Amino acid sequence: MFTTGSKLLIGSAFAAAVFAVVYGVTQEGSLGTIGLISAAVGLALLATINVLVRDSNVSAMDPEGFEASAAARNSARASLWPLLTALGATTVTLGLITNRTFFILGMAAITAGGLGWLVQAWSERASADRRFNQRARNTLIDPIELPIAGAIGAGILIYSFSRIMLGLPSKTATIVAFGVMGAIVLFVGAIVGLKRGASRTAMTGTYGLAAVALIAGGAYAGLNGERETHPHHTPGDIAEENECGPEETEADDLASQSVASKANIAAELTFDGSSLTYDLPGYDGQSAGLTVPRSTPTNIMFHNDGDDDARLVIEMHPRVDDDGNPTGPELICTALGEPGSTQFLTLLFAMPSSAVEGGYAFTVPGTDASLPVVVP
Amino acid sequence: MKDPMFERSLRVPKLRRFAAPVAGVGAMLALSSCAEDAPQDTWQPAGENAQLIQDLQWWVFLIAGIVGVLVFAAVLYCVIRFKDRGQPIPEQSHGNALIEYTFIAIPAALLAVIGGFTINGIFELNRTDDTQCEINVTGQQWWWEYDYPVAADGSICGYMPSAAAAPIVTSGQMVIPTNTRVLIRGTSRDVIHSFWVPRLNGKRDMVPGRVHTWRFHAFEPGIYAGQCAEFCGLSHANMRMEIVALDPPDFQTWLDNQLAPYTSPEEGTLAAAGEEAFIANCSRCHQIDGLTTPEGDPVISAPDQWVYAGAAPNLTNLMTRNTFAGASWDLLTEDCREAVWEASPEDFGAAYLKGVTPECLNQIDLREWLRDPPGKKPMYADPDKLEETEGKFRGMPDLGLSEDQIDQLVAYLLERK
Amino acid sequence: MALIERPTQRALVPAVATPSTTYGVFRRPVESTGWKSWAFTVDHKKIGIMYSATALFFFLVGGFEALLIRAQLAGEEGTILSADTYNQMFTMHATTMIFLFVMPMTTGIANYVVPLQIGARDVAFPRLNAFGYWTFLAGGLFLNSSWLLGGAADGGWFMYAPNSSVPFSPSHGIDFWVLGLQITGIASLTSAINLIVTIINMRAPGMSLMKMPVFTWMALVTQFLLVFAIPVITVALFLLMFQREFDATFFDVNAGADPLLWQHLFWIFGHPEVYILILPSFGIVSEVLPVFSRKPLFGYPLVVFSGAAIGFLGWGVWAHHMFASGLGPVSVAVFAVSTMAIAIPTGVKIVNWTMTMWGGKLWFTTAMLFAMGLIVQFTIGGLSGVTHAVAPSDTQQTDTYYIVAHFHYVLFGGAVLGIFAGLYYWWPKVFGQQLSEKWGKANFWTMVIGLNMTFGPMHVTGLQGQPRRMYQTTAERAGEGFFNISFWNLIASIGSLILAIGVLFFVINVIVTARKGEKAPLDPWDARSLEWMTNSPPKEHNFDAIPTVHHLDEFFHRKYEDVGEGEHHEFHKIATAEELIAEQEANADAHIHMPSPSYWPIIVSFSLPVMAYGIIYSRWMIPIGFAIAMFGIYGWAMEPPTATADDYEPPPPPSGGELEVATHG
Repeated sequence: MFTTGSKLLIGSAFAAAVFAVVYGVTQEGSLGTIGLISAAVGLALLATINVLVRDSNVSAMDPEGFEASAAARNSARASLWPLLTALGATTVTLGLITNRTFFILGMAAITAGGLGWLVQAWSERASADRRFNQRARNTLIDPIELPIAGAIGAGILIYSFSRIMLGLPSKTATIVAFGVMGAIVLFVGAIVGLKRGASRTAMTGTYGLAAVALIAGGAYAGLNGERETHPHHTPGDIAEENECGPEETEADDLASQSVASKANIAAELTFDGSSLTYDLPGYDGQSAGLTVPRSTPTNIMFHNDGDDDARLVIEMHPRVDDDGNPTGPELICTALGEPGSTQFLTLLFAMPSSAVEGGYAFTVPGTDASLPVVVP
Repeated sequence: MKDPMFERSLRVPKLRRFAAPVAGVGAMLALSSCAEDAPQDTWQPAGENAQLIQDLQWWVFLIAGIVGVLVFAAVLYCVIRFKDRGQPIPEQSHGNALIEYTFIAIPAALLAVIGGFTINGIFELNRTDDTQCEINVTGQQWWWEYDYPVAADGSICGYMPSAAAAPIVTSGQMVIPTNTRVLIRGTSRDVIHSFWVPRLNGKRDMVPGRVHTWRFHAFEPGIYAGQCAEFCGLSHANMRMEIVALDPPDFQTWLDNQLAPYTSPEEGTLAAAGEEAFIANCSRCHQIDGLTTPEGDPVISAPDQWVYAGAAPNLTNLMTRNTFAGASWDLLTEDCREAVWEASPEDFGAAYLKGVTPECLNQIDLREWLRDPPGKKPMYADPDKLEETEGKFRGMPDLGLSEDQIDQLVAYLLERK
Repeated sequence: MALIERPTQRALVPAVATPSTTYGVFRRPVESTGWKSWAFTVDHKKIGIMYSATALFFFLVGGFEALLIRAQLAGEEGTILSADTYNQMFTMHATTMIFLFVMPMTTGIANYVVPLQIGARDVAFPRLNAFGYWTFLAGGLFLNSSWLLGGAADGGWFMYAPNSSVPFSPSHGIDFWVLGLQITGIASLTSAINLIVTIINMRAPGMSLMKMPVFTWMALVTQFLLVFAIPVITVALFLLMFQREFDATFFDVNAGADPLLWQHLFWIFGHPEVYILILPSFGIVSEVLPVFSRKPLFGYPLVVFSGAAIGFLGWGVWAHHMFASGLGPVSVAVFAVSTMAIAIPTGVKIVNWTMTMWGGKLWFTTAMLFAMGLIVQFTIGGLSGVTHAVAPSDTQQTDTYYIVAHFHYVLFGGAVLGIFAGLYYWWPKVFGQQLSEKWGKANFWTMVIGLNMTFGPMHVTGLQGQPRRMYQTTAERAGEGFFNISFWNLIASIGSLILAIGVLFFVINVIVTARKGEKAPLDPWDARSLEWMTNSPPKEHNFDAIPTVHHLDEFFHRKYEDVGEGEHHEFHKIATAEELIAEQEANADAHIHMPSPSYWPIIVSFSLPVMAYGIIYSRWMIPIGFAIAMFGIYGWAMEPPTATADDYEPPPPPSGGELEVATHG
């Protein structure tokens, strides 16, 4: 005797096979045929299994047992899964019209809701003992549910906190906020720690309030927008925009190449306002001159000891390819450094001084300061 | 049933117990002092830095040796004296504080003394304030480049050249004046290498992006062998160098020769054809200072276009040095090599400055190299396998030179002195 | 998993009672014989045996790689291996020996012995233990599969940057190395946590920390070192992996990186690593010497404290591997002094071992010979180490064969001889048979001769200028005379063959012993610690009755009674091992609960190489591997530690008869 489910599958498999034949005969190309044949094979397989296990249908095998078994007794309980699935379906529809994010969130909600619903429905029919059912369900779904719920919860709290921190307009505001939040936590924690037998509702209430405050604050700060932050520009960016002149540019405003120190660099250049001098760290003697071997990655530190903002620039004289385009950067420079600042530069001389007109020299634009560097 | 563990055939002769380690150590100690003039012997210092290390280390080795012998003696004594001969279960001693603390205090005191001298040695070896000569050393897979910068007063390595001064770029053999405190400023173009000439000093790593200073000093003229001592890839074993120390007059001669202007080969000779072949095939990467095209334009090599690390050895005065390809092979035949390497300190300068003459040229290795460099020295120079290095070589590729071209090039190179 | 209610075959009754069937599709494996009992076991003893057997296999692999290296260096300009293959060979030799032989071998011995020594029935997390073994196996196989998939790693076992980045090492070898070590790192870390919790929490009643056997102490220190060192190498390997796979620029000098970052990260791991390698062998020797000297360990507290001191100080010496790297004189001076300082606790141990033998009643079994061999050979290696601590001297010695000699003396002469001492010592307990003393002596002597002949001359060649990691030596740098560098290289290569024969003798010994089948007595060595108070091999639950411990060397004190008065001690034997065990059996604990086997650990373990292959070849495999891992972890979490009663009534096998099942409780 075939059960309903088996009938459905057998019919589908048969139909798929028929369609495969019809399609294959009438249409060009093999892709569709292959697809339909695969469908037919898959459905046939499922049908076979279904027939063998009798569709897992207790009523089909044992009508009396069916009456008596727990699965027949529906003890459905309140559940949020249908709600979540419905919400998901709505959000998916919304997302199709508006934002892709809503679509994805909706799909996630449908998946989660569907799975949760499935497991809950199963657990309610597993036996007649409610407590056992609950335990079964928990054993099954806790390893998934708890980490995900925890992650989502933690994610929301962390995200809210981050929006608050990003929204604070200045350093002082940040210090105040941290200080206040820290004080509150300390205060409440002290009370909880010192007072014995704090009531459960009071605790839940406090934590709930804190979470709500955090989330609300985060939502507000998030909607308000972040404060201005400065993306760091590198020498490459500055040079590309050909802004290696003496004036401050937007690139400088956003740049930060301040480096306190770096080990074993090739040279330290110091600008005192009118001239550039160099120092070779780790070398206490008289140096023979600023010489950098060809094609070696070279690190230079630049100290601005003058009274004005200054930057270090070097013209690289790159090779020019057949189309007239330079094969490397034409200028390399640091960001504009305030007086007393230290900037850092990495460069590589592809060609020797003899191949380059006038040789190489570090300069500080806007002044006459120039320091020749020999590349043998 | 005979219980195997009670077999009295466990009569292992007691001394055999220690035959191996004692023999091993003894042989080691005895024969290690039986030096056979290994060119890179760390126990034969030839300069003040290596001498400082040797003065510090020999007595540490001595103390270590004595301690080792004492331990062996103690164990040997236990083996002989306390072997199971049926005595009753011994005194179940759990320890003796006096013995323990004595044997902690003695090594601690010894080490404290050694430590003091060690710290002194470390700082002494790192001095840079008494430098008399500065040379830049750059390591690259798989050869060494040296450039001698020109100081503000026009001197090179503390010597005034008779001609106009310009930086000297050489490779393989670093020439220094004797009894001079030479400071190298070393770096690398690609991976970490290590500069090690054992008879003159310990090793110092050459790290890309960093500049390390290290001192060299040679008491007497001679040629001191070295090897790259930090694993740097395929031909790490073939990355060698030598430091050549010349007395001041000889060094002056060498210096002036390096700065001598380029002389073109005579027209119509094999060497002249070699000059053309060089410009056509080699000058892409190898620089020869002063070389000009027939039209008179200076030939500037562009290894940054062909080699991943951006440089190739400068061959301006190739035949003034006697090794090539990262000092992997000699330019001199065996007899001529002996004349230079085994020369006494008084005769060494003249022997070295002779350079490589046509009779002394090691034709075999040089030609094999020109015929197929990657076949002779493992390198990454297969043009089909360069995706990861932007199509650039690491090492010298096979240029597909014909035998005639090789003849011409060898003739041309022989004149590079 | 089909989570369906099993259709009942019995009479139909309203199902009001709580059913007790399990939920999984696959029955939980409960066999105690056959391959399944090994594949799914969580018994620390079986896992210890598997760890050790696999480690010995990799010892042979690494040894074969070493023989190829020595064959290549036997003569000048050897042609047995190409430069590329040679570079892979020495990298893999070191990696195999360190990560796939010594570390798992000591973990295996610790896994087997530590619970027995502390009077526990198993480790704290048995399934995690199994996971650790299978992960190690997966990692080892993954790492070695690189030989067949385009070449193994070729950057040296410390893989300095930037040579390890893609332009300089284009093959996938280093990717395999990075990921293989990450996988084995996971194994080491889980084992470490497991053993730490076991040792701290599961000691028998009365066993305070200072009554623990020294091997357990050294194992504890080693596991702590692992817990802190493995994360450092993990970080370094992640940086390298991201550099190679995803174009990060951590070690890209043109982007401003400093290659020394890798060196520092690696050696902060690398130095504690060498203590991880040697401390267990120190522990083994501290067990073996007292037993065969018939005296307690001299200065037990100092041996324990010096072990802990080595573990602690070992974090402060890493830059002695970088003396030539351009650190600057201040750093070099500091690390030179700290390196000298760490020689002191090591020296303490040598003194204590020698004093243990002094005045004893020495019985020269093979285990004792290996232990004494360690004292002598490790001293040689340790003294050459002291010469390295002198930093200026080290600038001559580092990266030469002198260093190779040093570490092979401390590793082979130290760690490996200690391991072999442990093998010979505990073999009768583990397998119920004693390894043949005759073959054992042959093994020992051949190994010692071979080891000294191979690594002794390396001191000479190193000091005379032979750098390491060179695929060929040349006549030009070999020096003149008969006893030049080439001569010593030849001696070293011949020595390596002798060493190989020594190892072969061990293999023969194992086979011969297994064939002979003679049963060993329960306590063949008249030993001192608790692991000997069990059957040979121990029952699955180790002890019928968990003993209460009153002394250090508890087992010894149960057999021997002090009948002397006052200062004078005289020990008389009052019980044999057989009597003590019979007494235990008579007073067996009523309820013995043992963890049940499980197939989840092996599933999770083998998902790791799937992900790793995915990173190298096809990114799609990463989520697949991850899904398998998550599936496995989920099933693992759902599974109770002990199988339910139902699992222990499996259907009878098709051939009829009963299926032997494991203890359950």
